Amino acid sequence: MSDRIVGLLFLGLSIWYGYTAGSYEASFGDPLGPAAFPQIISVPAALVSLGLILRPDPDPTWSRGVVALRQIGALVLFVAYAVLLIPLGFGLSTFLGVMLFAMLIGASWLKGALAGIIMAPALFILFDVLLGLPLPLAPSL
Amino acid sequence: MTIARLASIALVGAAAAMGGLAIATPAHATDCIAPSDPGGGWDFTCRTVGRLLTETGIIDSPVQTTNVSGGTGAVAYARVASSRASDEDLLVATSSVAITQIAQGKYPGGTDMMRWLAMLGADVGVIVVPADSDLKTLDDFLDAIRENPSSMTVGGSSAAGGWDHLRLLMLTEEAGIEPDAYKGIRWVNFNSGSPAVTQMLGGQVRAVVTDIGEIGGFVQSGDIRILVAMSDEPIPAFSDAPTTASLGYEMTGYNWRGFYVGGDVSDEAYEKWVADLKALYDTPEWKEAAEANGLIPIWRGGEEFNAYVDEQAEQTEAISREIGVIK
Amino acid sequence: MDTLAYLAQGFSVAMSPTNLALALFGCVAGTMIGSLPGLGPVNGVAILIPLAFSLRLDPTSALILLSAVYYGAMYGGRISSVILNIPGDEPAIMTTLDGYPMALKGKAAEALAVSGVASFIGSTVATLGLTLFAPLLAQAAIYFGPADYFALYVLAFATIGGVSGMNPLKTLLAACIGLMLATVGLDPGTGTARYTGGMFELYDGFDPIVAIVGLFAISEMLMLMETRMGEVTIPKVGRVVPRMKDILFSLGAMIRGSCVGFIAGILPGAGASLGAVMSYSVEKRVSDKNKTFGTGDPRGVAAPEAGNNAASGAALIPMLTLGVPGSGTTAVMLAMLISFNVQPGPLLFDNQPEIVWGLIASLYIANVVLLILNIPMIGLFTRILMLPQWALMPFVLMVSFLGIFAISNSTFGLLVMIAFGVLGYILRKMEFSLIPVVLGVLLGGDMEDNLRRALSISGGDPMILVQSWISVALFALTAILLVVAFVFSDRSHRKAPDIME
Repeated sequence: MSDRIVGLLFLGLSIWYGYTAGSYEASFGDPLGPAAFPQIISVPAALVSLGLILRPDPDPTWSRGVVALRQIGALVLFVAYAVLLIPLGFGLSTFLGVMLFAMLIGASWLKGALAGIIMAPALFILFDVLLGLPLPLAPSL
Repeated sequence: MTIARLASIALVGAAAAMGGLAIATPAHATDCIAPSDPGGGWDFTCRTVGRLLTETGIIDSPVQTTNVSGGTGAVAYARVASSRASDEDLLVATSSVAITQIAQGKYPGGTDMMRWLAMLGADVGVIVVPADSDLKTLDDFLDAIRENPSSMTVGGSSAAGGWDHLRLLMLTEEAGIEPDAYKGIRWVNFNSGSPAVTQMLGGQVRAVVTDIGEIGGFVQSGDIRILVAMSDEPIPAFSDAPTTASLGYEMTGYNWRGFYVGGDVSDEAYEKWVADLKALYDTPEWKEAAEANGLIPIWRGGEEFNAYVDEQAEQTEAISREIGVIK
Repeated sequence: MDTLAYLAQGFSVAMSPTNLALALFGCVAGTMIGSLPGLGPVNGVAILIPLAFSLRLDPTSALILLSAVYYGAMYGGRISSVILNIPGDEPAIMTTLDGYPMALKGKAAEALAVSGVASFIGSTVATLGLTLFAPLLAQAAIYFGPADYFALYVLAFATIGGVSGMNPLKTLLAACIGLMLATVGLDPGTGTARYTGGMFELYDGFDPIVAIVGLFAISEMLMLMETRMGEVTIPKVGRVVPRMKDILFSLGAMIRGSCVGFIAGILPGAGASLGAVMSYSVEKRVSDKNKTFGTGDPRGVAAPEAGNNAASGAALIPMLTLGVPGSGTTAVMLAMLISFNVQPGPLLFDNQPEIVWGLIASLYIANVVLLILNIPMIGLFTRILMLPQWALMPFVLMVSFLGIFAISNSTFGLLVMIAFGVLGYILRKMEFSLIPVVLGVLLGGDMEDNLRRALSISGGDPMILVQSWISVALFALTAILLVVAFVFSDRSHRKAPDIME
């Protein structure tokens, strides 16, 4: 079933992809132009997606319950870290990110906090001081 | 282990982390934005100029380079315009490539959005052919185009409508070839100069237009010849090669490297930057660093440079319209 | 003679203190990363790329570091394959088939010793081959025109078809997804914006490095959530001492595996995975008289381990000479070289011999170091498997985030990385291989460029694609490979344990 859904999704995507390519044109440049290559790819992509719908593999075991919740939690954490890194500043967001992620993979509060306390400054020294890649230090709300 | 105690440990830890970090960063650093990944050309401009500005004592504060890649500089352009337009401690590295993009509407605005400080050096565009080519001079090359434009396959390191292509067309136009004819030249784009030259040596294209910096080695080794350098002055390393000026064409095909600042920067700060960069330009350290990287030190600064940028943008826009890159 | 002189020059580059230190560090880091379950050479190299940038290494040193990591991870990959039955990446899958049964029988130490020696022989064969053949191929490569490159890319995508033993439809679809992603951004031929939704951030397309870190490192973090903590039990490993008897018993398998792996590895595309699979299949056909393969036969460990190491080294050949990577990992290294403004290809050998020969020399050094690290000192690395995940994984996660942040200094880059992580997770769950996606993202642009260059040269006449004997030969080879893949695809490989389990 999963294969069928994904197949359908990609079938739609390939059709949209090939169709959209048609709108790319340049009145100069090479003979093939920007549209041809995407159109060429969209054909096997659509055919293979169709094949997947017709001959699906057995379903993988999707995670459920607590595991699924933890995965969603991790995703929320990733996005939050990406969005908040600049506004909250590196120190706070990295401390929180490390701690919460450690807890998501099963560490206790204490271990998580410990990992965060050690890792945030260590990472800062590694990237900003030693490697010279500036990180947003202060909160800039 | 109570929650309160853990929370206090966490807080202390966070505070310690922040405290430790605060010491590590110097105050009032100047930012230089390199609108490319680390290692690219703009990255080199920022890092070298930033380092030399401090080393030679022209400015006191250290210069730190921040990479803001994306859209061939468009992302950095948009970011400076929207949030750092009046930031006087900010330099942004740029080059001819950006002007081409601006002129073709691939940036979020025109050249008037920024204040252009100066160019410090330039790579020179050249037309090269294999050493054993029957095209001996630029005239042979132009004649071949006049005779049958589609027999001329030319490679370069930019897209059709990019700077390498455009400066070739500008030269053919300057030589009196009609747009209908020069549009027929078969342009083959490569990722950079070296592969283009390799393919030329393998017989895939007849000539290559690109910057001399990257391919100087092939000229030295005698694999290829320069038909013309698109500059006013001869290239120091290859002073025998004719230039567009020496052949009487009024065009140059520099790929210059320079800087801009935000559009709302005060006149004093702008003049100060121009003066600082001019001071740097006059040091032997800069000349050495530039030449080590295949650049010719060339100075244009302040309002003169602003005008030059505007003119280059206009010229690029006109020829882009002519060949249909912009409608 | 020339080769020897160049090699001597290479050793002088490789023996410089910085480069020697980087090679050593790379070997240790690579073995460490490789030995972690689920992390293979692609991840290892992907994680260390930001480091290479930020250390401001010159291209030679960066390449030496990453190649040492690459070789190291190939060695290290066998540790988690044998002990935990979890391969680090596709080429290591075959090592689990007989390695894990050996560990179950209490012969983990023997399996690690045999595979360590096999890795050494495989890598040595590959490095020798690289020394001999790369300059020759580089000389021939100058005659490759756009049409020939296009044929080469077609071949590259054909090799990934029959590789992993996964559903070929899915492998093909994965390649298509990669190719589609590669077309996002300004079209290199005309500058037309494609599939960007008007976002300037997408005008340069997806940064392959962001895509790779997302696909592998971030998806691995999501996978990690599915393993229950403390579930993994680690078999005891005694002292690892290779015994002459064991080595001699599998020597034939090692040599055969090395040769098969080397040949497969030279093929552009997914040669390294192909090398491991083919060397195992070949060895099984040659030696499996008593049907002991799959139950813990040392030869079943030796052959694929020699094969995948040989293939990995060989994969550097097309990467350096043609700029077309021979494996997923070399594809990542190619992406790095290009961002250093080093254009691999035939001219690299003429213009920047210090890069090529410094690399080759340091591979010889790395190989010896790795043999020492991986036989007498292997206890060090098996112990890393016992490091608590809550300390290790947040670190890997943060290095991924900060490394990508350092490239783009934007939230956008991080969000793209996370999106690729989700895509990678879903694809891995559904048993898609990620290698074709990466190859698609990386090679799609060049494939299109070369097709269009060829047609620009001919003024639109498609016959140019089959006008040179090189392209005709490459298309013929593609056809042969596809036929062989169908013959070989008895689907027996599908029993290979899934990376994700």
